[in-house]
Amino acid sequence: MTDTIVAYELSKWFGPKVAVSEVTIGFGPGVTGLLGPNGAGKTTLMRVIAGLQKPSQGTVSILGQDPRAHPAIYQKIALVPEDEAVYERLSARRFVELAARLAKVDDPPGRAQRALETVDLVGPAGRLLGGFSKGMRQRAKVAAALVSDPDVLLLDEPLNGADPVQRAHLISLFKELGSAGRTLLVSSHVLAEVERMTDRVVAMVDGRLAAVGSVADIRSAMTDRPRLVFIEATDHRRLGAALMSTEGVIGVHIEPSRLRVEASDAGDLAKRLASIAVATGVGITRLEPADESLESVFRYLVEGGE
Amino acid sequence: MTLAIHLYRRVMRRGRLIGLMALSSVPALAYWLAAYDSDPGEAARLYTDILARLGFSFAIAVLILTVAILREERDAGTLPYIYMRPIGREAMAASSIAAGIAAALTLALAGWFVSLLAVLAVAAPVDTSVAGLVQYATAGLGYAAVFVPLGYLVPRSILVGLGYIIVVESILAEVVTGLAQISIWRIALSISADVAVNQNPGEMLNSITPGVGGGVAKLVVVLVLGFGILTWALRRRDAL
Repeated sequence: MTDTIVAYELSKWFGPKVAVSEVTIGFGPGVTGLLGPNGAGKTTLMRVIAGLQKPSQGTVSILGQDPRAHPAIYQKIALVPEDEAVYERLSARRFVELAARLAKVDDPPGRAQRALETVDLVGPAGRLLGGFSKGMRQRAKVAAALVSDPDVLLLDEPLNGADPVQRAHLISLFKELGSAGRTLLVSSHVLAEVERMTDRVVAMVDGRLAAVGSVADIRSAMTDRPRLVFIEATDHRRLGAALMSTEGVIGVHIEPSRLRVEASDAGDLAKRLASIAVATGVGITRLEPADESLESVFRYLVEGGE
Repeated sequence: MTLAIHLYRRVMRRGRLIGLMALSSVPALAYWLAAYDSDPGEAARLYTDILARLGFSFAIAVLILTVAILREERDAGTLPYIYMRPIGREAMAASSIAAGIAAALTLALAGWFVSLLAVLAVAAPVDTSVAGLVQYATAGLGYAAVFVPLGYLVPRSILVGLGYIIVVESILAEVVTGLAQISIWRIALSISADVAVNQNPGEMLNSITPGVGGGVAKLVVVLVLGFGILTWALRRRDAL
């Protein structure tokens, strides 16, 4: 399969801050999830790919062309930016029609109507965008992107602010577009969201690629890595001693008000904890898994589990 | 054309427009007050003098409106909606300057119309006001070609533009011959002086000889330069 988007040794820095660091990757038709915590460099990568920012180093090509040098390529590319910026004094319909006219497509009103129908925004299409909720703005932006029927769609956190029904609707729309042979790069910091769209995932952290593969690989990394669990009990010393000899427990630290336990599998530890508590006669008052964010998973992936 | 219309409509907000039209009408109102009791001949002479001296309020109104053409898109974060369309930077620059000219001409018409009412009110010959129309329209055209790129390129463009209008156009160009030659206000004045009746711009013209040909040629140079600079600036196409 030929890659539609190719980034080669791509870096982007702003003064001393490196936002994207030596990323070499290709994206082909279908949906690819771009995962990473906030500040990982996803938006910068998207903007550089879209040609909205010049790479500090490296190259980008979309459908074989550098978008910054060949604006005609924008007939085939669309971006849904993450920020909420829209033309607040335009109605959704006028906004999508404007996008159609600027994209020089035939029958802008007809195209706009179809795009609005696709994102289920026909009803409120006459209202000003300034009065829209975040989720509705996102859908208007998706409609504006779809109006030119692009081959490549870059979607930066497109589900932000959408309610569950609209979220499901957009996810199914993206899957449909991907199945139709379009290239969709969808960024998100929510693994479960991406999992519903695609099995192809690129994970980023600190501007670098952390993992490229399937959602299963990411999930496996989440399960395999050591997890932190905080336990509050009636006797921390006795419980800590018992936990030290428990299978899967990597380390136990007694803190002033709780135990900090590092385990290879937090779920397994939770299951065993009840019997350990009974055996030692210690009462458990609180059990709290920590360090659950995707960021920690990605950091773990980048650092190779060190 | 679509882009030019969009950019023009965007800056034409009702509240702002009313304020700027009022600012553009300041010379006309001053003229009405000054010429209230004058005879028609004197009123006609006063028209030129007052518009020439107080017309900078029109320049300031044009500055405020035209620097906003691309600046507002950038500040609002909506530039990607324009950049990510199959529009070459030459077309983008031409559309932006066209929108700026249309905005400036809107103010010019408003300022001139109020001056026409003032001319009628003081019973001066109606053809006196032709000078105002030509003056405002040509100056607006030149200012738009300068201020649209300024708004895109310079963060505090209104401040810089005000400095240019007040210091260069109002003060320096009146005493420095070289600057008078490239002062947009005086270029416009030289054109209006040549085509209108009852004209005596006098000292305001400094070393410039009234003449449509030379003035128009200078305006074309200003337009080409503005277009060239904006096209060059848009080569980066960076939204941030």
